[in-house]
This record gives sequence, C-alpha cells and structure tokens, in this order.
Amino acid sequence: MADYTKYTKQEMQAYAIAKNIKENQIVIVGTGLPLIGASLAKRVVCPSCHPIVESGLMDCAPVEVPRSVGDDRFMAHCAVQWPNVRFIGFEANEWLHDEDRLIAFIGGAQIDPYGNVNSTCIYGKGDYVKPMTRFTGSGGANGIATYCNTIIMMQHQKRRFMEKIDYITSCGWMDGPGGREKVGLPGNRGPQMVVTDLGIMKFDEETKRMYLAYYYPFSTPEMVQENTGFEVDVSRAQLFEGPSPEIIRIIREEIDPGQAFIKVPKE
Amino acid sequence: MNKVYSLHDAVAKFVESGDCVSFGGFTTNRKPYAVVNEILRQGQKDFTVWAGPAGGDWDMLIGEGRVKAYINCYTANSGYTNVSRRFRAAIEKGQLVYEDYSQDVLMLQLHAASLGLPFLPVRLMQGSGLVKYWGISEEQRKALDKVDDLKCVEIDNPFCPGEKVVAVPTPKLDLAVIHVQKASPDGTCIIEGDEFHDVDIAVAARKVIVTCEELVSDEYIRRDPTLTRIFGECVSAVVWAPYGAWPSQCYNYYDNDSHALKEYDKASKYQDAEDAKAQLAKAAAKAQKAAEAKPDDDKLADAAARAQKAADDAASGAAVPETFADYVEKWVYSVKDHEELLDKIGGSRLMRLKNEPHLGYSTRH
Repeated sequence: MADYTKYTKQEMQAYAIAKNIKENQIVIVGTGLPLIGASLAKRVVCPSCHPIVESGLMDCAPVEVPRSVGDDRFMAHCAVQWPNVRFIGFEANEWLHDEDRLIAFIGGAQIDPYGNVNSTCIYGKGDYVKPMTRFTGSGGANGIATYCNTIIMMQHQKRRFMEKIDYITSCGWMDGPGGREKVGLPGNRGPQMVVTDLGIMKFDEETKRMYLAYYYPFSTPEMVQENTGFEVDVSRAQLFEGPSPEIIRIIREEIDPGQAFIKVPKE
Repeated sequence: MNKVYSLHDAVAKFVESGDCVSFGGFTTNRKPYAVVNEILRQGQKDFTVWAGPAGGDWDMLIGEGRVKAYINCYTANSGYTNVSRRFRAAIEKGQLVYEDYSQDVLMLQLHAASLGLPFLPVRLMQGSGLVKYWGISEEQRKALDKVDDLKCVEIDNPFCPGEKVVAVPTPKLDLAVIHVQKASPDGTCIIEGDEFHDVDIAVAARKVIVTCEELVSDEYIRRDPTLTRIFGECVSAVVWAPYGAWPSQCYNYYDNDSHALKEYDKASKYQDAEDAKAQLAKAAAKAQKAAEAKPDDDKLADAAARAQKAADDAASGAAVPETFADYVEKWVYSVKDHEELLDKIGGSRLMRLKNEPHLGYSTRH
C-alpha cells in the first residue's frame, strides 16, 4: 500500500495554491506547480474555477499534465482556442470593466518586500546587458502583473527574497502605498500573496510590505525569517493545516502520475 | 498561381541574409523547424529577429551565429529546458545584441504590424525594467538599419490627458515563416488548433514561407471556408514538409518528440567539445573545493570524484558528452534535406509521435 500520509514541500505548496482559489474565479496558470494546484482545485477543492493560459486557451481541463502553456494537452481540452492577443485584450478588459474575477499565478527568481519580481536576469558582477545569469524573459508575467491580482510562487531562500532586486520584470506594489499609480499601473490590482515551500506571505494593507500570514506543519516563523533576506513581520503568523491523505493520493495517482512536476519521495 | 517550391528552392529564393524575420508557433508547438534546418544548411545569416514565444528554433540559429539582433520576450523549450541554453550563454558572454519586451507587448506589436498601424500605445511594462533598461542603446539602434531607433517612449494619452501610456514601434518584417496543417498551391492555409501569432506575421511580412503537413488542391481547401485562416495572396511559397515542425508538436498530427527535446536539452549545454572540456574542468574544480570545505561529507567527496572523472574523460577524449555542435551535425548538416531527416528519425519513431485522436496527443513515445 502506498503511503499518502507523508507529503513533500512541493505537494504542500500545490495544496496551498488550490486552497487559495475561490469559487468561479478565472485562474491564469502556467506550467509546473501552479498547474498542479489549479488541477487540484478544478477536481476537488474548487470545481467552479476556470483555468486559462497566456497562449489564449480558455477554460482548460487537461487530462495529462501539459509541459508548456501552448501544449496540445491544453489545446485539445479547452473551451476556446484564442490567439494570444485576445487573451491580452480579455485581461485588460476585465480591469476596464472593473470585474474582479481574475487571479493569476506567476513565478520568479528574485522578489522584494513589495512583491516586485525578477524573472529576467541576475547581474552578479555584470549588468542587464551582460548579466551573470540570464533567464527566459518576461513571457506573459509583466502583462499579468499589470492587470491582475497575482499569487507569486517562490522557493524560500535568502538569495531570492531581497530588499532590492536587480531588475523588475513584473511589478508588485512598487515602493509601497500609491507606488503603482505613480508609474501608471492600475492601483487596485497587485500581488495578494506569496506561496513558498515554507509558508504563505501576504502584504500589509497600510505599508504594502510582505508579512508572514501562515506557516506549514513542517516549518516555523523562525525558519521563514532565517530564509528571508529582509526583515519580515511574523507576529501575525498562523498554522496552515496540511493536506489529507486523499488529496495526496489524487495528486500522485491522478493529476501528475508521470511525476512531471512533483517528485514522489522513495519509500 | 502555383507557389509550390521545394524546401531548398523556397529558402534559397526567399530567405536573404540581413532579413528582419519572425517565426510562427509557440515554444514547442508548430515551430517551423524544416525551414530552420534548411537555413542552417544554406548559410543565410545576420537576421534581425522578432522572436515571439521562442524555443529551440531561434536557439539553434543563435548557437550557429546567424542572429544580428534578437528581440526577445521568452526563449525556452518549456518543460524540457527552463531557459534556452545557447540564447543564455550568448547573453552571459556578451555575444548577443538583444532587446526585451514583455510577451504581451511583442505579440501586440506583431498584431499592430498586421493591422498596418504606425505605432502602438500600450498600458503595459510601466514601472518595470522593460521600460527602464534598453538592451540595444539608442546609439547602437541608429547603426542597425533593421532595428527601430527607439525601444519605447512614454507619452500622454491624447484622449485622456494625464494618463501615461507607452508607445512602441511596429515591426517591419521582411520574412515570416510558419508551419501549418494544410495548404494549397495558391497559398491558402488551414491552421488547426490555436493560430498563435501566425496569421499576424503572415499578413505583416513582405515575404511568407509556408510549410505544410498536407498539400491539398485549391478546390479542396475551399470546401469549408470557415476553416481557412490565411489568404493565399499573402503567401510567397508553399512547401510540402510532413513532420516539418519536428521535434515540436503539430495539433491533430503529432506530439513533441520528447527524446529529441531531451537530447537537445543535454547537448546544448556545451557549444562544442572544447566548451564541454572547459565547463567540465570548471565543475570538477568547484566540486573539489566544496568537498575540501567539508572533509567529513562522503556525498560531496563522491560528487567531486565523479566530476573529476567526467572532466578527465572529456580531456583525454575517452568520453566527451554530446554537444550542440554534435546535435546540429547529427540532425541538420549531415542530412541533405528534410526527407533524409525523416529517414534518419525513422518510421516507427515518427509513428509513435502521431496524436491519438481521442486524446489530442500521444502516449506512445
């Protein structure tokens, strides 16, 4: 008998994603963990949600886990196959119509206390033109962070959570209250939380700085502070309960049986 | 008018060194690899590129030094390679002239080009590094004839004074290359599944090469005009190239060749044998240092020994890993055309890639 009582950090993260998707929300997902989380939401936790992807595929219900947002695994099992520009227009019009139905998952390499994210490059001794480490570039993330409320996925490490990041690819709350409006971004949209392998961070209503809202059964507020490169308020932190064995069974046996994104520990 | 060409003749006639180019498809879906391979064989170079969501297509051309200026929004064989490796290495070594837009903006720019708009205002990229930093400086831009003089300009919305928006240029494409499911001799195309930005670049570009899975008659393609997506008069050349998107996917036809994409992922770590030797020696030295720092850690000692062996084997020539140069030699230069490539991949392997109609992808490879 397989043992579903023990779960990995990644499975906890995927479950945390699923639990934060609300009834009827339109969920912008990428591949990787957000997709596992959204699949879990669609099947069990919140079946009324509508997953969409930036390539323009709307209301996706993939059978096998897709490898990319343009994958035929999305394309063959969705409601509408729009070109990417329609997706962008839809995203913008949701904001123009003052609708609050979209929630989006983005990731990155570096994040600052205001939820600004870097997924372009790490300078090292160089600069933007000749960086130490280069990544893919924005993809859909900049546009998503412009018009939608976001949930940011990060690995919780000191070198990733920094007071000042090298390059802002996707804007968060900029430098604090009013920061988005100052640069011409919608002020009523922005990052809602950061889901990491150690906990869930939210943003203070007044200061827009990150604070620890939840830690997991296997983590502590102290661990979170130790792995964060800036001062983080942990005084409001509560425990976020872990997933049931049934949830873990569904992730392993039904959603990602090929272990494309979540590796199951060897017993 | 009959626009049917062989792959060789279409590329020889319509792809010119120095062209401003965009390819259709999306990272690992419907990428026009048959044409990429033929360009590599024929030698055209110095391209100014509006890449869109790119993957191995442009990574191979960057690795072979054919790109003069690369306008990027995302370059990865997603799910196989997190960041395309020749693209990444070229930037980290300061060898690639490149610019970043967000994917949204770049796709809207290609759409604006298809609409014939003079420029495009967007409410995107504001406050981000995408506006603040220019990969290609104003001075460099003036010296590059196919690159616009400015990356972007913040302007006031004339219809809503006080609202700041970002104006970006529309691409002026010489050449678009797309791979479609069905085309007819007069250039009419059927794209099945998501069209991505393919229709936009086919309208916007001066020269358009279409490769297709199936070449059908002009009468047949018109049987149901709700299915046709590209007007034949936009198209310069039609090439019959079954499996022309290999190793990427083609909706209703075949899936990614995951073996080839994984092979490319590993091979493209190293430009060539010299690069492999240098990188493996560097990795061995790093592992050695880590092991020395923690003498009690057996795992680190094992890792250092393994890394040293790999470096020694590469240096002596006993076991040099497959490199990017080997990959392109094996799958591009050593075959004379697309048919020889299909023979080399092999019949059973191609059959296993065929999509299973009830799923829309293949579970057999």
